[in-house]
Amino acid sequence: MEIIETQKEDISIFKLNGRLDSNTSPALEKKLVWAIENGTRNMVIDFENLDYISSAGLRIILKTTKDLKRTEGNIVLCAMQDYVKEVFEIAGFDTFLPIFSTVDEALAKV
Amino acid sequence: MPRKNVSIKLKNRISELERLGQKFQAFGAGIGLSKKCVFQINLAVDELFTNIVKYGFADNNLHYIAVVLSHENGKISIRVEDNGIPFDPAARQTSELKDQIEDCKIGGLGLHLVKKIMDDIVYERSGKKNVITLIKYIPQP
Repeated sequence: MEIIETQKEDISIFKLNGRLDSNTSPALEKKLVWAIENGTRNMVIDFENLDYISSAGLRIILKTTKDLKRTEGNIVLCAMQDYVKEVFEIAGFDTFLPIFSTVDEALAKV
Repeated sequence: MPRKNVSIKLKNRISELERLGQKFQAFGAGIGLSKKCVFQINLAVDELFTNIVKYGFADNNLHYIAVVLSHENGKISIRVEDNGIPFDPAARQTSELKDQIEDCKIGGLGLHLVKKIMDDIVYERSGKKNVITLIKYIPQP
């Protein structure tokens, strides 16, 4: 998996490419933890090029949401494939995590 | 769609997930499955495989996990076989509530996904093996 990080004003955007499973999730976790420790408070995760996610990936998103809540930060998700979004819904994560269709919407709402 | 069987032998290493994913892509392409359907059956096996690798063996030795994918008459059957400690994922309670899911024990969230995504999950202990059979009916367009 490839993670591309960009910055727009005070928002960090993480664009995920490839597959997020228990093999690749430690790299994402490391990157997100590092960002929060270094002052990131507003985060957008762009799923447009993410082809695959398992519960290992969901756990990282959940953990990051909790970490940001503790530091009064925000996280929003966007541009998911329908079948990826369905996994968030089955897990019940859509009830507490905002998921938007486009990056622009996500940037406006974070 | 033609009848098709694929056998995959995986080591008890998380890095094998990459190869597992490639096998699912090829299997799906071979019988014309939708991207969503390939994703769902891959996810179900990923969750079971990851649980087996993480919790299924009392030692750190090399073990093999066998996965057999079959397709016939609009139905996909997947057999997952390991020689680890007895574990029945079908009997394990999973929760509907998100705040309980995150506190679920071993593989709680993963198994919740498997049960929701697949149409049936059957477990049997056969000799010294765990044998899990997953069933998915291919949605008609």
